[in-house]
Amino acid sequence: MQCANMLLKKIIRTSVFPFAAQHGMKKDLFPLSRTLSFSLCLKQDKSCEASEKLDLDEWKKVMKSGLQEELSETVSEPKELSGLAAARETLEMWRLAGRAVPENISEEQLKTFMECPSKSAKKKYLKYLHLKELHKKNDKRKMNEKRERRLEAQDQASNTDETKKNPFVCLWSSTMDKAYNWRAAQSMIFGQPLVFDMSYEKEMSVREVTNTVSQIVMSESCNRRSVDPFHIHFCNFKDDSLYHRQFLKSYKQAWSKLLITVTDQCYTEIFPKDKLIYLTADSPKVMKTFDHDKIYIIGSMVDKSIKTGVSLARAKRLGLETAALPLEKYLLWNTGAKNLTLDQMMHILLTLKDTGDWKKALEFVPKRKYCGFVKRPVKELKKTLDLINTLKLGKRQEEIEQQFAKNHPKK
Amino acid sequence: VQPPEKPLEAEEWNKLREDFQLPEIFEEVMLNNMIRCNSPIDVAKSLLTHLAKRNGDIAYNMLVKYLTLCVQQRQVSEIHDVYDIMKVRFKILESGAYSLLIKGFSNSDQWRMALTLLEEVKKMMIPSRTCYESCIKAASRHQEMKLAFELYKEMLAKDVVPTLDVLQSFFNFSRGMEGAELQKELFGILLYLRENQIYPHKTFMRSIKLWFESMPGGNWRGRLTNIKDSGQCPVCKHQLEDSNLTEEEYSNLSERIIRDVIHGTDTFRKTSPKEFEAFQTFVENRLPFDIVIDGLNVSHIKSRKMQCENLFDAVNCLAKENARLLVLGRKHMLMNSSNWKREIMKEMQNKADFFFAENISEDDAFLLYATLRSGKHCRFVTRDFLRDHKACLSDSLTRHLFRKWQRGHQIAFSPSAEGRILKKSFSSVFSQQPAFRYDCVVQTTGDTWHIPYKDVFEEKYSYQVPRKWLCIQQK
Repeated sequence: MQCANMLLKKIIRTSVFPFAAQHGMKKDLFPLSRTLSFSLCLKQDKSCEASEKLDLDEWKKVMKSGLQEELSETVSEPKELSGLAAARETLEMWRLAGRAVPENISEEQLKTFMECPSKSAKKKYLKYLHLKELHKKNDKRKMNEKRERRLEAQDQASNTDETKKNPFVCLWSSTMDKAYNWRAAQSMIFGQPLVFDMSYEKEMSVREVTNTVSQIVMSESCNRRSVDPFHIHFCNFKDDSLYHRQFLKSYKQAWSKLLITVTDQCYTEIFPKDKLIYLTADSPKVMKTFDHDKIYIIGSMVDKSIKTGVSLARAKRLGLETAALPLEKYLLWNTGAKNLTLDQMMHILLTLKDTGDWKKALEFVPKRKYCGFVKRPVKELKKTLDLINTLKLGKRQEEIEQQFAKNHPKK
Repeated sequence: VQPPEKPLEAEEWNKLREDFQLPEIFEEVMLNNMIRCNSPIDVAKSLLTHLAKRNGDIAYNMLVKYLTLCVQQRQVSEIHDVYDIMKVRFKILESGAYSLLIKGFSNSDQWRMALTLLEEVKKMMIPSRTCYESCIKAASRHQEMKLAFELYKEMLAKDVVPTLDVLQSFFNFSRGMEGAELQKELFGILLYLRENQIYPHKTFMRSIKLWFESMPGGNWRGRLTNIKDSGQCPVCKHQLEDSNLTEEEYSNLSERIIRDVIHGTDTFRKTSPKEFEAFQTFVENRLPFDIVIDGLNVSHIKSRKMQCENLFDAVNCLAKENARLLVLGRKHMLMNSSNWKREIMKEMQNKADFFFAENISEDDAFLLYATLRSGKHCRFVTRDFLRDHKACLSDSLTRHLFRKWQRGHQIAFSPSAEGRILKKSFSSVFSQQPAFRYDCVVQTTGDTWHIPYKDVFEEKYSYQVPRKWLCIQQK
C-alpha cells in the first residue's frame, strides 16, 4: 500500500514537472513579461504576442494603466480651482517642467507672486525665491557638516584629554560688544557726524529698500567695530516707513538700543549748511581730502534702474556742497557704475578718517570694477613717455602727443 | 551624446546610460539631443518605453520634451495621445505644454482642438502671442476669417502685440475673397500699422499688394516706388501727408515734454526752477526762432577743428538764410580757453541769440522747449538722437508723436558722411539728412494707399525711416 502510494506521488510529480519546466522556459523566452508584471493588461498583451519586436507604444499603456486606479479614486475631479490654489497648482506644474521655481512657497510669497504685473516679473520673482531656497539649503547642509566635524574633533579631544593653560583671558563676544558699545557711546558725544539721508523711499522698489537696509546694517556694524567710529545720524527718518519696518525686521529688539541718532528732521535743520557735504557720484566736484570738520551725507538709496541725478537734485535743491570720490584719479576704471554700496562707502570713509590714505581707502572698491591703481599722476606719466620716446625712438613730438591722446582720452 | 538612429532595447539603453557621465540626467540630455537632431520619433518612443519600464512612470518634463519632438515632426496622433495622457495625469498643464499642444493641433485637421485648448489657457492666464498666432493662422487657413478676426481683436484687447506674421497671414488667406466686412477688417490692420508706426517688410508688402489686386471688382493696382523729397508720389502724383502735427497733437506734445522731460520727478535733476524760469522769460522775449542749435553738439562735428570754430561755421552757414537763430550752450563756453576763444564767441553773439545754461544742467531739454515754443516752422540742429528724452515720455502714443515731430524738425547729418565732406563747405553736411517734409507712415485717401516698407535684410534703426514705398491706386 505504501509502495503504491509512493508511486502515485512520483507519478504526480513527474507529470507536474515538465509543465513547470515548460512554464519556466516560456518565462525565459519572454524576458519582458516578467518586468511588466505590474500591469495586468500588458501581461496579457505580451503573452499572446510571440515576436521579439519592440512595442514602441508600451509606455503609453504604462502611463494609462497606472492611472486606472488613480482615476477611480479621483473621478469627481473637474472642480474649478480658484485664486491661491490655482496659482499653487500652476507653480507645481512649472516646477515639474523644470523651471526655476521654489519647492516651498508661503502664502505671503504666493500673494506677491500673483500681484506681479507681468509674466516676466513673475518669472523673475520665482527665480529669486528659487535661488534663495537653494542658498538656504546649501547653508543648512554646510552647517550640519560643520557640526559633525566639530563633534568628531571634540571626541578626539576628549580622548587625548589635554587641557592647556592659557595665560590670557578668553574674550567672548559679549565682552567685545561691551567694548564696542563704549566706543560708540563715546562717538555719540565727541564723534564726527555722518548722515544717512533716508528720504529716498519713494524712488525705490520694495526690493531696493530691503537691500538698502541690509547695506546700512552692515555699515553700522563696521562703524561700531572701528577704532574711532562716526556718530551716525539717520535723517528724514519717518516712523512706520518701509525703512523703519525693514530695520525692525533685521535688528529686532536691538533697534531701540542702537547707539545712533535717528530723527525725522532734515540734516539742514540740525547742522550748519556750510558744513554739510553731500556725497554723490554725479557731483561735478571731486573730493580731494577728507575733512574732519565737515559733515558728510550719504543718500540711503539702492538704485538698480540707474536713475541718474536723484541725489544731486536733492543737494541742489537745498543748496548744499557736493562731492564725488576721486575714483578716476586713483583707479584705472574698468566696468560697472561709479556708485558704490553703502557699506563700501562706510569702509572708505572710515579708512580715510583714520589714515587719510586714498590708496588704502579705495581698496574697498570691488576689484571687478577697476584694473588697477594709477601709480603716478597722468601728467608725470606723459613726461616720462615723452622722454623715452624722444630718446629711444626719435619720434616727432607731435606724433607722440597724438599717441598719448589716443591712450588717455580726455573726458 | 549622439542619439541612436534606431529604436533600442532596454538593455541597450541601460548600457548607454551607464556609459554616460551623469546617469541621473541621461534621459533628459538624450531627449534634448533628439529634439536638436530631429531624430525619428520611434527612437524617442523606445527611450520612453525603457523609462516607463524602469520607473513605472514618466516625468512631466520628459513628456513635454517628447511632445516638442512630436510637434516638430507634426505627428498629430502622437500629440493626441500625449495630450490624453497628460490630461488624466495632471489637473492642469503649464503654459509651455499648452503652447506646444496648440501649435501641434493648429497645423492639423483637428485645428479646432487648438481653439478649445486656447479657451482652457485663458482660464488661467493671458495666452502668449504665439498661441494666438497658431490659432489665428489655423482659422484663416480654413477660411474662417470671422473667427480669425475675433481672436485678433481679443488679442489686441488684452494688450498682446501681434506678430507681423499674423498680420501677413490675414492678407495671404483673404486673397480673392469677397465681402465688404472683410475689406473693412483688413483696412483696419493697415490702420493698425499706421497708428503704431510699423513698417511691413518686403514679403509682407507683397502680400498686401496681391490682396489689393485680387479684390474682386476693386480695380486696385499696386506699384513700387520711391517718394521724392518734395513728398510727391511719382506714380500717382499724389502729395503725401505732411509731417506737421495737428494743433492738438502739437500742444499735447509740448505739454508732455515740459511735464515729463524737463520737470520729470524732480526739476532739479535736469535744471533748477530758477534757471528754467530765466530760460522761459529769455525765450518768450525773443520768440519766434527759426532754428535752434545745440551748441555743444555741433561744436564737436570736426574733431580737428577748434570747437568754437565748428560752431562758428554752423552759425554762419545757417545765418545766411536770414533765419533767427538760437544757440544753446553751457556757461563754460564763455570762459576763454583753448577751445573757446572769446573773440569768436563775441562775433557769434552778434549773429544769433545765445543762452548759456549751468554746467551741470542738461541743455537738450532747453533745446526741445525752445523749438516747440517757437512754433511748427521751427527746426533744431543736433546729432543727438534724443533717445533718452523720448524714454522720459510716459506713454507710447506721445512717444510716437515725439518721433514724428523729430523726423519733421530735426536737422542732422549721418556720421559716415563726415570723413568725405571734410574739405567741402559746411552746408553740405546738413544736406545729408534733412528734416522730412512728408510723414513716413501708412496712409490713405480712400482711393489710394501709400505704404512704406523695408527690405527684409535691411538694417533699420528706430530713428531711420524706409525710403521705399508701395503705391496702390484704384482706377
